[in-house]
Amino acid sequence: MTGTLSYLAFFLTEVLVNFIAVLGLNVQWGFAGLFNVGVAGFVGIGAYVSALLTVPPWHGAPGPGHVGGLGLPVLVGWAGAVLASAASAAVVGVATLRLRADYLAIGTFGIAVALHELAANAQGLTGGPFGIAFIPHLLAAVPPGGLARGLLDLAITALAAGAAWLVIDRITAGPFGRALRALAQDEAAAASLGCDPRRLRIQAMALGAAAMGLAGAVQASLIGYIAPGNFVPILTFQVWAMLVVGGVGSHRGALFGAFAIWGLWSAAGSLFAAILPPSMATGGASLRIVAIGVTIAISLLWRPRGLSPPGRIVSRFLR
Amino acid sequence: MNPQFLADGILTGALLGLGGVGLTLAYSILRFANFVHGDFLTVGAYAALVVAGALSQFLGGSGIGPFSFGWPLIIALPVAMAATGALALLLDWLLFRRLRRRGEEIVLVMASFGASLAVRSLIEFAFTPEPKYYSHDLQIAMPLGFSVRATPDQLAVVVLAGVAGIALHILLTRTAMGRAMRAVAENPALARVAGIDPARVVRATWWLGGGLAALAGVFLGLTVQIRPYMGFDLLLPLFAGVILGGVGSVPGALAGGMIVGVAEALAVPFIGAAWRGGVAFLLLLAVLLVRPQGLFGMER
Amino acid sequence: MTTLAVENIVAGYEKGLPIVRGVSFAVAAGEIVTLLGPNGAGKSTLAKAVAGLVPEREGDILLDGARVTVPAHALVRAGIAFVPQTENVFARMTIRENLEIGAAVLPRPRRAGRIAALLETFPALATRPTLPAGRLSGGQRQMLAIARALIPEPRVRLLDEPSAGLSPALVSGVFSDIAAIAAKGVAVVLVEQNVAAALGIAHRALVLVEGRVAHDGPAAPLRDGKLLARLFLGHVEGAEAA
Repeated sequence: MTGTLSYLAFFLTEVLVNFIAVLGLNVQWGFAGLFNVGVAGFVGIGAYVSALLTVPPWHGAPGPGHVGGLGLPVLVGWAGAVLASAASAAVVGVATLRLRADYLAIGTFGIAVALHELAANAQGLTGGPFGIAFIPHLLAAVPPGGLARGLLDLAITALAAGAAWLVIDRITAGPFGRALRALAQDEAAAASLGCDPRRLRIQAMALGAAAMGLAGAVQASLIGYIAPGNFVPILTFQVWAMLVVGGVGSHRGALFGAFAIWGLWSAAGSLFAAILPPSMATGGASLRIVAIGVTIAISLLWRPRGLSPPGRIVSRFLR
Repeated sequence: MNPQFLADGILTGALLGLGGVGLTLAYSILRFANFVHGDFLTVGAYAALVVAGALSQFLGGSGIGPFSFGWPLIIALPVAMAATGALALLLDWLLFRRLRRRGEEIVLVMASFGASLAVRSLIEFAFTPEPKYYSHDLQIAMPLGFSVRATPDQLAVVVLAGVAGIALHILLTRTAMGRAMRAVAENPALARVAGIDPARVVRATWWLGGGLAALAGVFLGLTVQIRPYMGFDLLLPLFAGVILGGVGSVPGALAGGMIVGVAEALAVPFIGAAWRGGVAFLLLLAVLLVRPQGLFGMER
Repeated sequence: MTTLAVENIVAGYEKGLPIVRGVSFAVAAGEIVTLLGPNGAGKSTLAKAVAGLVPEREGDILLDGARVTVPAHALVRAGIAFVPQTENVFARMTIRENLEIGAAVLPRPRRAGRIAALLETFPALATRPTLPAGRLSGGQRQMLAIARALIPEPRVRLLDEPSAGLSPALVSGVFSDIAAIAAKGVAVVLVEQNVAAALGIAHRALVLVEGRVAHDGPAAPLRDGKLLARLFLGHVEGAEAA
């Protein structure tokens, strides 16, 4: 019973962490029509920056020549993560947003690849392949393991997700969101009404990446350990699948999508573990990725606006 | 400056150029950044591995002359190119064609990103992540002067990549299909008015792009190793080369790939071999900021 | 002898928003019919609809009495050639390559002969056939576009504002070329803003107002301008009344 509850708490915590990242992608794609292929990179920036800010100077990763952390409070680390992700997204935006839409895709893909390389190789800074351990928990007094900690983690994540939802919903329901929607509908018309398209898009990129950075920071502090392998293209793809399945442009849909895809992902993992012999464990992991890929392809073909379309938001502006 | 790095860079550059040609054609004719293209290289390499493996049962596995490969791989090469072209057409038929009709380019990019992941994972499932080789014979690098050494395979790859580039240039400038492809790339509406069937051009583009990717993949497998991520890991340098050369320009893709390959190789002695992606990314950012239309491209 | 017949065309870019609202007309071999009308009357959309380039289209196109059902890219082969108003040459390809694209719909043995014949008709293009079309002047581009479309010897030519962006001196040259084309038995549909020049060579004029035919008759009586002004102004008054 306790085990099931613990697992449920862990499962929901993961759903909510992902939901924070999906919220960010929803700002970029759902509202501004910006295609970001580097979600994993921005989540990774958040995780690494928060880790470097909060890890105590005497700990750090076992890698040789590690510079160690600054030992700052966890919430300062989260704030730093949000800012660093937003700033790096703005840089990519400045370079690519005056060009064709798919240059942004290539640019964000590039930053994710380059950052993964940085995480995997800059041993002195990131611990290289060893990653960074001993990342402080928000409430360090509660010992790890057990149901209490699991429920606490869930509560912390729910608070962070709720805060992110509130802030992003406020921003996207206000003039900024309206300007973004106008821009996505008709760029020339929006520009003639005084919106600066490039600036708006860079802001949307930065706002979305800020949420992704927060997701990375929360995850890092809950698990206490990060490594380059956590921030690979499959993460980008999961977040995309969550958004597309849940319904592009709808924050509630993002929550539903995070739940559905993370559920599918976990279930597929258990299923393949059960039916495949242990020798084929890597094969099972590959098949799981194929399952997600096929899911997104089918939802793109079948329901391009997702399973839970944002009727409320569209009708408010179109009627 | 050690000229050996330059020689290595030229080899990488030739492969990037060859892979980039298909990417730039697809980009300009089909009008989307195709993230599966890197995995087409992988598919081609594994297809050749399977075919060559089966053929070596009958033809024997020894190499011809100084090369590590023999008739099995030479016969497998066109088969792998055709198989990869067929896979590209299949993906188009299942996925891209339907999304293209809806007219949202960026959804195509997203679909290609997903397809890339699925294709790569299927290969990983079928062949395991362990690296494979066309031949386990060790090749001795020959001295070429100026303290540069290269294996016969590497020299063959550079020469064949050059030949493929020239053949492609002739195809695009001297044949009706080549002109039709360039016409659709430049102005699809006018091409239709002028009597060019867009569906035929799209099919030809997938065949050509897939085939050339497979060629680059086999060459990559021959000179490095065959891994499920071999093509995907090249995708960023491929995009960098294509944009550097100017999207849609075949000479640009060849030159851009060469520049990226040489730049990566020249950076190795200063920052180490692990930073190749970072070099490609910085080059990409620099091009986008300074000259987004690329070296050979036009404003679009 | 009617070459092209257009029957009850309704066409537009979105469902339920037709720009051309039920237009019929016919063009005989050797005849030049000009489509006139105020801005937004649907002249260009009508020409594009006949060429199969408009997503929403109802009605029939008949060539020599037979219904045309082929997709846009096959119309050239069927004998209907459309020359767009702008971007009507492949700027990154040479003059010769542009002509070769036009010739690609012909059987192989006829291609070289037709290209040579067109270069003879337009000697200005023959001087530097390897020049990229993007480096040509506006008049030469228009000439190249017309030449490219003439290579397969179409029986119907649809020209969308061939005088757009040309200096008056060039306009008369282009229009005398068009008259010469029609004289060889080609049915020409000419969409024009330059009313005087179009009426100068046209046999018949169709005045479109708000997507419908307001007048269909010989071109000559329209040349003094009064009837035309009444038709155009009638549209404005009608709009105000509505």
